[in-house]
Amino acid sequence: MEDTAKKFLEAFQEALEVEGKVIKFEDKFREYEEWNSLARLSLIAMLDEHFGVQIQTADFDKLQTVGELFQAVQTKV
Amino acid sequence: MFNITNKNIVITGGSSGIGRQIAIDCCKMGAKVLIVGRDTNRLSDTKNTILSSGGYICTIEADLTSSESIELVTEQAISEFGHVDGIVHAAGISTTLPFRSISQSKFDNFIYTNVFSAIFLTKNLLKKGNFDDNGGSIIFFTSVMAHLGESGKTIYGLTKGALLAASKSLAIEYAPRKIRFNCISPGVVQTPMVMKQDYAQSEENLSKIRALHPMGIGKPEDISPAVIFLLSDSSSWITGTELVIDGGYSAR
Repeated sequence: MEDTAKKFLEAFQEALEVEGKVIKFEDKFREYEEWNSLARLSLIAMLDEHFGVQIQTADFDKLQTVGELFQAVQTKV
Repeated sequence: MFNITNKNIVITGGSSGIGRQIAIDCCKMGAKVLIVGRDTNRLSDTKNTILSSGGYICTIEADLTSSESIELVTEQAISEFGHVDGIVHAAGISTTLPFRSISQSKFDNFIYTNVFSAIFLTKNLLKKGNFDDNGGSIIFFTSVMAHLGESGKTIYGLTKGALLAASKSLAIEYAPRKIRFNCISPGVVQTPMVMKQDYAQSEENLSKIRALHPMGIGKPEDISPAVIFLLSDSSSWITGTELVIDGGYSAR
């Protein structure tokens, strides 16, 4: 669990190109200044590439926090 | 005027979207068609649709990213037809992927699916004895993205640009054998592949795509007649060129 969480946060940070910020599970990632349509596609691609998780657009759009996203990965891995 | 009666045509991606429409229209025009696809159900659906209206069609299930499959398709084409008069490479994949998300595996997948398949199937089918001695016509499906940019279209656009570039040299190299190479470059066409793209998942995003095309999003039927023309002898002096069919997308 801990390893997966660490791997997830690193991949998340890389996908969103977030620098100089500590990512927390309670963060609302759509409120990050880095958030835009490309960041969204990058995040969806990361879930597929790193975790083999193919998430439906409608389901993805309901997720608000980093923790919810991680939870979605956990349940689908 | 555009006569393709009894021409033997191989169509990749022929069980879905634009390729399927081309297969249907080629058969209506009296051509004999071998369609290549990856999905058994879609292949048999297309075959049944064509057979019900009396066309000549055969199918082969193959993943053209492997040399072995390319050999099998070539063998089937020759055993079915004796020789080939035309190839339409409509098979391909698309994505909108930020540059930072391009991995080597994704890159390889796009190169193999969109470029390798078209180049090596063509190479095999062009071996002496496989193609009609009087020449023929080969059509690569490229895209407006071979010329123009959009965010997230790097990996897709570069594969289409590669095919466009290849068609130019191939046109010159094969002109002595009267084998013509041309490209069709569509804008966004409403196909199952396009409708799976992320930008097609909301009406808001689709509206933005529509707005980029002054004549709206295309249909497979908007593309197919141009392919028939390029396969026919009416285009016998046209080679190394490209027909952009994009509802005005690139006119801006």
